[in-house]
Amino acid sequence: MIDPSKPDLEESVNVTEAHERVVLGAAAASREKKLAENGSESISLWVTILCAVPLLAAGWTLGNAGTLFSYKDTVKEGYVRVIPSAGEEFALPPKDAVAAYSAKGAKIYGKCIGCHGADGKGDGANYPSLAGSEWVEGETERFAMVVLNGLTGPTSSGKTYGVMPAQGAGMSGDDLAALMTYVRNSFGNSVGDVVTREMGAAALDLSSKRANPGSPVTADELNSEHKKNLPGEPLDPATMLDPITLEPAAAE
Amino acid sequence: MSQASSQSPEADALLRSEIDRSLRHPVMFFFTSGAAWLAVALLLGIISSAKVHAPGFLDSCSWLTYGRVQPAHLNALIYGWGCQAAFGTLVWLMARLSRQTCRAAGLILTAGHVWNFSVTLGVIGILAGGSTGVPWMEMPVFAWVPMLLSFVVISIWSMVQFKVRPAGHVFISQWYVLAALIWFPWVFASAHLMVHGFSGSPLMAAAINAWYRSALVFLFFTPTAIAAAYYLISKVTGRPIYSYSLSLLGFWSLAIIAPWAGMQKLAGAPIPNFLPYLGAAATILIAIPAIAVGVNLLKTAAGAPETVVNSPTLRFTVAGVIGLLVTGAACVFLNVPPILRMSQFTLSGYGFDVLAIYGFFSFVAFGMIYFVVPRITRREWLSSRLIKVHFFLSVYGVVTVALVAIFGGVMQGLGQEAFAQPWEDAAMRAYPYAVATTIAWIFLLFSNVFFFLHLALMWLRLGRRSSHPTLLGHGHHANLHDSIHGPEGDIDNAGPGSAPAH
Repeated sequence: MIDPSKPDLEESVNVTEAHERVVLGAAAASREKKLAENGSESISLWVTILCAVPLLAAGWTLGNAGTLFSYKDTVKEGYVRVIPSAGEEFALPPKDAVAAYSAKGAKIYGKCIGCHGADGKGDGANYPSLAGSEWVEGETERFAMVVLNGLTGPTSSGKTYGVMPAQGAGMSGDDLAALMTYVRNSFGNSVGDVVTREMGAAALDLSSKRANPGSPVTADELNSEHKKNLPGEPLDPATMLDPITLEPAAAE
Repeated sequence: MSQASSQSPEADALLRSEIDRSLRHPVMFFFTSGAAWLAVALLLGIISSAKVHAPGFLDSCSWLTYGRVQPAHLNALIYGWGCQAAFGTLVWLMARLSRQTCRAAGLILTAGHVWNFSVTLGVIGILAGGSTGVPWMEMPVFAWVPMLLSFVVISIWSMVQFKVRPAGHVFISQWYVLAALIWFPWVFASAHLMVHGFSGSPLMAAAINAWYRSALVFLFFTPTAIAAAYYLISKVTGRPIYSYSLSLLGFWSLAIIAPWAGMQKLAGAPIPNFLPYLGAAATILIAIPAIAVGVNLLKTAAGAPETVVNSPTLRFTVAGVIGLLVTGAACVFLNVPPILRMSQFTLSGYGFDVLAIYGFFSFVAFGMIYFVVPRITRREWLSSRLIKVHFFLSVYGVVTVALVAIFGGVMQGLGQEAFAQPWEDAAMRAYPYAVATTIAWIFLLFSNVFFFLHLALMWLRLGRRSSHPTLLGHGHHANLHDSIHGPEGDIDNAGPGSAPAH
C-alpha cells in the first residue's frame, strides 16, 4: 500500500485520490460501519430464569436414567417392556396353534442351533439332521426323552454320532412343547400337530421317573419304553391361540 | 479495534477492499459451488422424501432407491452446501477480523476444489451403491482423507492470520471462527478414524457415529453461524454487541456442553447406560448457549429495527438467530424423558437436523452471502424482489419441514410405542407428515431457484454497478434517497465516457 517511490509518505495523504479509488472500486467496503466495542449489559434475571429451564429439564432426564456410570447395565432397568398378561388391554393378534407354539419354539431352538444348525440339517458328520428324522416326526414321548436327557449310541438312522448332552435343565413344559412343535413343523418336517403344554409337562414328569434319570437315553431304551405319544388331550392345530399365553384366544 | 480507528476512513476502506479482493476467488468458489450443491441436495431431498409416502416413485432405477437417495441428499446438504458455505464464511471472516489480506488464495482455492471433487465422487459413490451405511459418513471410505487434508490447507491460513493479527481486541466472532477451525478436524478425524480406520466394536461405532452427527452440528456449523451472526449484526447495525457477559456465557457453555451431546440417538441400545442419558442431558443443555447467543444478538439487532427490515443480510441473519433459539427449544423438547422414548427411529431426528442445518445455519450463511458477495464482486445485488422471494419461501419451507418432521416423528413414535399394533399403523401415522415434508422441500427448492439465479448473475459479474446497496425496504427508488445509507450514489465505474450504468 505504500508507494515505493515515496517511502516516507503515508498513502492516505492524498485524500481526494484515495477517496475516489475507494468509492470507485469498493463502494460496499467504504460504506461499511466499524465494529463497535462490546456492550457491558449484565445478564438479566429473566435470561437466568430462561436458562434454568433447560437445566431443570436436563436434571429430569438424568434422574430418569436409572443407574448411571455402570458398565454392567447396558439398558436402563425397566426399559425392556414387560409382556402384558392376558387380562390387559394389549393383546397380540391370535395365531393358529402350530404357528403360536412354533413362534415360541423358534426362540428356544437357539439352544440347538450350535449343533443342529439354523436349518436343522446338522453337519452330517458329528451332528445329525433333524429334518426327516423318524424320532423327530414319530412318537412324541420318544422325541421328548431325547431332548430332555440327551442321547448316546446310534440314532434313528442307525448311524452313531457323538453324545448329545441333555437339554432339559431349566426347561419348562411349555418350553419343551413349543420347541417340539417347532421342530416337528420346520426344516421340511410337516407333522402338522401340536405338542400341547400338558403334554410337555407330562414329558418332564415321565423323564424324572426314568430308571436312571439324567443319563442319556439309548435307542434300545427309547424303542422299548418310550415308543408312544405323550399323554394329553390333542389340540386341533387350527385352534386360534393367543401367541403369548398360548391359551385359546377369546372369540371376537 | 483501537488501531483501526487511528487510521483514516479511506485507508481503512482500502484495506477492507484489498482483503476482499485477495479472497475473491476462493470465497466466491465456496459460495457458488456450495449453492450448486444445495440445489442438488434439495432435488435429492424431494425425491427421497417423496419415496417415504410413495414408495413406487422412480423405483425403476437402482440409483434412485431410497437407501441411496436419502444419504446422498444429506451428504450433499452437509458436505456440499454446509461445509463449503462455512469455509467461505470462516476464511473471509478471519481475514477481515485479523485485518490481513490473504496471501494463499490460490492454495485455498485448490484445496477447495479438492474438497469439492471428493464430495462429488463421494456422492456419486453413494448413488452407485458404494455407501458405507454409516449415517452422515456414507461416502465411500476413500473420500474422507482428501477431505480432511483439504480442510487443513483451507484452515491453516486463517490460523496464521489470527496469529499475526494486530495486537488488541479480539472480536467475539474470532473466538467462534477459531473454535470451528479447531473443532472440525477433531470431530471429523476422530469419528472417521474410529469408524472407518480401526475395527472396534460395531456397537461403539454406532455410538461414535451418533456423537459425530451431533458434534458436526454443534461444534462446527453452530460456531460458524454464530461467528457470522455476531459479525453481521454488529457490522450492519453499527451497534455494540449487547452484553459481553452473555457472549462469554454463550461461548464457554457451548464449548463445555456440546462435546457431550449426541448419543441420546441410541437410547435403549446396548451401550453403557450413561452414554445416551448423558447425551440427552447435554443436548438439553445446548439450549443455554442458544439462549445466551440468541438473546445477545436479538437485543443488539433490536436497537436498529429498520435496518433489520431493510438489509437482506440482516433479515436472513436475524431469522437464522431465531432459528437458533428454536433449535435450542427443540433440543429440550426432544430429549425430556416422555419424548425421548418416542424420538427414536422416527422422522423427528431428521426434522431436528434440517432445523439446525437449514433453519439456523443456512439462514445465517445466506445472510453472509448477501453481505460478502457484493464486496468481492464489487457489484450490487440485482433485485430486491428476488431476495424477498428467496427469504419468504425459505422461511415457509423450513418452518414446515422442521415442525412437521419433529411433530410427525413424535406421532410416529407414539405409533411405534403401541407395539401390540401392527407396525403399519405407525407408518400410517407418519404418512400425512411425510407428504407435507415433500411439499415443503419443493418450496425450498423453488425459493432457492431465485437464489441460484441471483448468485449466478453476480458470479458472472452482471450485478448492478452502483455505490448504493440493494435494500428490501419499500421497494421504491425514491425512498432510497433518504435511506440510512446516505444519498443515492450511483456512479459510473465502467470507465470514462460510458453511459451511467444502472
